[in-house]
Amino acid sequence: MLQTNNYSLVLLIQLALLAFDLFVNSFSELLRAAPVIQLVLFIIQDIAILFNVIIILLMMFNTYVFQVGLVSLLLERFRALLILSALYLTLSICLHCWIMNLRWMESNSFVWTSGLQALFVFQRLAAVLYYYFYKRTTEYLGDPRLYEDCPWLRDAFARARQ
Amino acid sequence: MDINNEKVQSTRRRDLPPIPHAQKRGPRALPSLPSQDSADEMPVPKTKKKKPKREVDPEGLDVLHAPGDGGIEMGVHSPSESKERSSPEPPENPPQKKKKKKKSQITDLEGDQAGLFLNDDVPDPNVEEEPARKPKRRKVKPKVTETQSNDELAVEDDDIITDTQPPIPQHALFSAPQGTSQPVSKVFIERDRRFQPAERVDRTKINDAVEQNFLDLQSTWTTRDVSMKVHRGFRVMGLFSHGFLAGYATWNIIVLYILAGEQMSTLPNLLQQYCMLAYPAQALFYFLLAISTVSAFDRVNLAKPSVGMRSLLTLDPVALASFLYFSALVLCLSQQMTSDRINLYTSINTSLWQPGSEHTVLYPWIIVHLVVTLLVGLAWILLSTSPAVDYTEEFLMAMDIEYPQMEKGIITA
Repeated sequence: MLQTNNYSLVLLIQLALLAFDLFVNSFSELLRAAPVIQLVLFIIQDIAILFNVIIILLMMFNTYVFQVGLVSLLLERFRALLILSALYLTLSICLHCWIMNLRWMESNSFVWTSGLQALFVFQRLAAVLYYYFYKRTTEYLGDPRLYEDCPWLRDAFARARQ
Repeated sequence: MDINNEKVQSTRRRDLPPIPHAQKRGPRALPSLPSQDSADEMPVPKTKKKKPKREVDPEGLDVLHAPGDGGIEMGVHSPSESKERSSPEPPENPPQKKKKKKKSQITDLEGDQAGLFLNDDVPDPNVEEEPARKPKRRKVKPKVTETQSNDELAVEDDDIITDTQPPIPQHALFSAPQGTSQPVSKVFIERDRRFQPAERVDRTKINDAVEQNFLDLQSTWTTRDVSMKVHRGFRVMGLFSHGFLAGYATWNIIVLYILAGEQMSTLPNLLQQYCMLAYPAQALFYFLLAISTVSAFDRVNLAKPSVGMRSLLTLDPVALASFLYFSALVLCLSQQMTSDRINLYTSINTSLWQPGSEHTVLYPWIIVHLVVTLLVGLAWILLSTSPAVDYTEEFLMAMDIEYPQMEKGIITA
């Protein structure tokens, strides 16, 4: 059974990582006085995304639903988040690599091209969707019924075995 | 003083060598009780003193068992011992023999414990003092002779002398407590291998308080409550963000039009004044739009596409607001390149801003900002018409985690 204190702590960590991610996405363009600052921010952001994905996966593994083998049930519920997380992480890494590559020699230069603009827009849009789905999923995983044996789970298990 | 005397007596009894005589046996067997006595059981030794004296006269058999009865633990735990003691006695007591034989048949059937019990019955009819032992026998009976038939019990009832003398306190030791319990105010708790006194009331109170708090926390604060609280907290933040974004966008477009002048005649002035604000404003736009969009999606419960699409097609205000926020976000992000160009107006002016290019670059940018402002303002108005609508909260409250196929089955049923 998931303890309230543990869940609160995990939720706090997740939301803190999300807040940091939003902060970097919003204001990283302003903090480009030195390319190293942006580089560090981008690295931390990518690691934060990765950490968030790992945490949400661990939370899923911790559910009773997963432990009894109904992985498909969880995947069906949280497929959107998992796909978006992977997409967002990929887009973020690509954008960060591209921007840092262009701005490494001169940080205060105009580096925008149509391709970079498009990637930027897609990455930022994916970020917003990722925030929404991640927040929703992490709140959803606080449901105590996911961590205990329930009639609906037995029914689902019986259906899965058929 | 009595305690001291008793102790002395008990030690003497222990020191005495075993004597076969019945008179001597009585006192010798007694020490088992005094050794168990505590200060609280003061009256008990007195009765023991009297008892051996009384019992000596009528029969040795009784004398033999009196001490055994006094320490019933002995009799119960080592029935064979009592049997051994009882067996040599009958020759000294011919009148008891018949009864003894009678009972011995029963003892054969019932085993050692029953035999012990029956031996206790032997001296009953003749001894006046015996009634003192009767209550004990009655109490022991149900434990030991559970398998006895009703007939046998009836026979024994005949043998019992119904004398209504109050039981001697000695026997009360081995019966269930009849008085009301008087708990001591202090409890001895083992700490550091030593028993230390502690207040029972305080401790129980503290324990109750702690337990109560724990139960309260357990019952009132669950993971679901935590998630609901986080969701509501974010909704409050979203409400603030909606209003702030609408106001900020309005202020931003007003500033732009004021700086651009009539018919956008003073665009270089706009660039000069606004170049420092363009990028921070863009960053703030994205920040507020991201929060507002997530908050609006939360209200629609966008994770369920069917529900989201249905509410959008039915022109649900919340769904419309979500769509407007998302459109504003896309439009705002599309102006990132232009904002950076404006931001670099003073630093790199040569290649980025050729003379006469201001109008072609800035005009769509201002128009997009105007559209964004309108979208954001309209979305805020739509949301403000139904501020309590939050489908995700309802979803979380219901925690609908039914299996999809089951849902369909239930719906069809």
